[in-house]
Amino acid sequence: MSEIDRDRVLRLAPGCRLSAAEGQEDILLMPEGAMRMKGPARSILELCDGTRTLDAIVEELQRRYPTADTARIESETAALLGQLLDRGALEYG
Amino acid sequence: MSYALQAVIAEVTHRCPLHCVYCSNPLEMQRRSAELSTDDWTAVFRQAAEMGALHLHLTGGEPLARADLTKLVHAGRSVYLYVNLITSGVGLDEWRLDALIAAGLDHIQLSFQDVEESAANEFAGTRSHALKLRIAEMIRQRRVAFTLNMVVHRRNLSRLEEMIAFAERTGAQRLEIAHVQYYGWALRNRDALLPSREQVRGSMEIVDAARARLQGRLRIDFVLPDYYAKYPKPCMNGWGHQQMLIDPAGRALPCHSAGVIPGLEFASVREQSLRSIWEDSPAFNLFRDESWMPEPCRTCDRRTRDFGGCRCQAFLLAGDAATTDPVCILAPSHHLIADALEHVNGNDDSANQGWVYRTDVAGDKWLPRHR
Repeated sequence: MSEIDRDRVLRLAPGCRLSAAEGQEDILLMPEGAMRMKGPARSILELCDGTRTLDAIVEELQRRYPTADTARIESETAALLGQLLDRGALEYG
Repeated sequence: MSYALQAVIAEVTHRCPLHCVYCSNPLEMQRRSAELSTDDWTAVFRQAAEMGALHLHLTGGEPLARADLTKLVHAGRSVYLYVNLITSGVGLDEWRLDALIAAGLDHIQLSFQDVEESAANEFAGTRSHALKLRIAEMIRQRRVAFTLNMVVHRRNLSRLEEMIAFAERTGAQRLEIAHVQYYGWALRNRDALLPSREQVRGSMEIVDAARARLQGRLRIDFVLPDYYAKYPKPCMNGWGHQQMLIDPAGRALPCHSAGVIPGLEFASVREQSLRSIWEDSPAFNLFRDESWMPEPCRTCDRRTRDFGGCRCQAFLLAGDAATTDPVCILAPSHHLIADALEHVNGNDDSANQGWVYRTDVAGDKWLPRHR
């Protein structure tokens, strides 16, 4: 799995977007399929808007979930984003 | 067991300016006068979305042959479907491409027949390659997802490395290396198209090396051609399990070639709702579960993974849609595949056979024919 480059901002790759249909808001649509973004994964993806680096995304998540364990937020976010980079669903902006 | 519709394949027209020697469209094509209208398609897309479908694949023939294609893209996107255009590119210009993207097009899959112009034009039966190069450049300049589809077979696999390098230059995010499948017109040209065992082995090595080199830059989709696999492909991920194809006249089929199977009647979206066709029509239910399966499928551990393979291929080769796909090494009819492979692997002359071109293509005469 890819290491995230911490100096660069992240965004969804062309052809990848969250569904806007009612009841399907947690589905990430991609050219060759779809993935369900469970729990906080959807928030993480929404923060990949081309203005934030990994650290900025983690910082925002800490603000939103102040009781959650910081190290865990960081490791799980990095893991999800690394996986999506490998699948071609994310890119550096 | 109930199955959720995930994707609709809309064959919006059978008209096509190309005359590929491996055309996958049915031998009997629907005429322009029989095509569904813009409103008909809009209703189909709405129903599909209501059933929970996610993806809409606009294909043909050449979908750009429809003057209302931008409206169709908009209609799909308006009901929140993911809209994919499968095209040869012929009929596209900058203005039209911008309009399609503005209408909500999510992804373009552009097909190529080769990297070498004369060969590409020969396989396409049309002088279309140079135009496709300009279209690829137009797509590269825009922020839209881009897959390059390269159709491979005996006569061009030797250029696989050049094809991959070409895909890299086009700026595509994804390269689909698609082996010809032997349905429709391709079956007529099979002896000239089937690659040799040596070619298939070499191509796998080339793809493995390219994937390692291009990781993170270009994704490569490549599957072993089913004639050389031990077990059949999970065709359509199961008959009536995920996908529905609507032909230009509105007939709903479980896959693009199901029309070859005798005795099947396909309901029309002009007369029935998508949901009733999906859930209740005999054609969608015939091979949906395991009740049709003969041995060796019936007791095979793989039946939940490959569903006995492709029903159309079973009919086309073994004459019975309800038998194991002959590709499977366990199939009683596997000798049909073994014989075909023995023939092409022992016969160097098959590369020199002439092509059988389709002459029935109801396409507008946009491009000069090859030779």
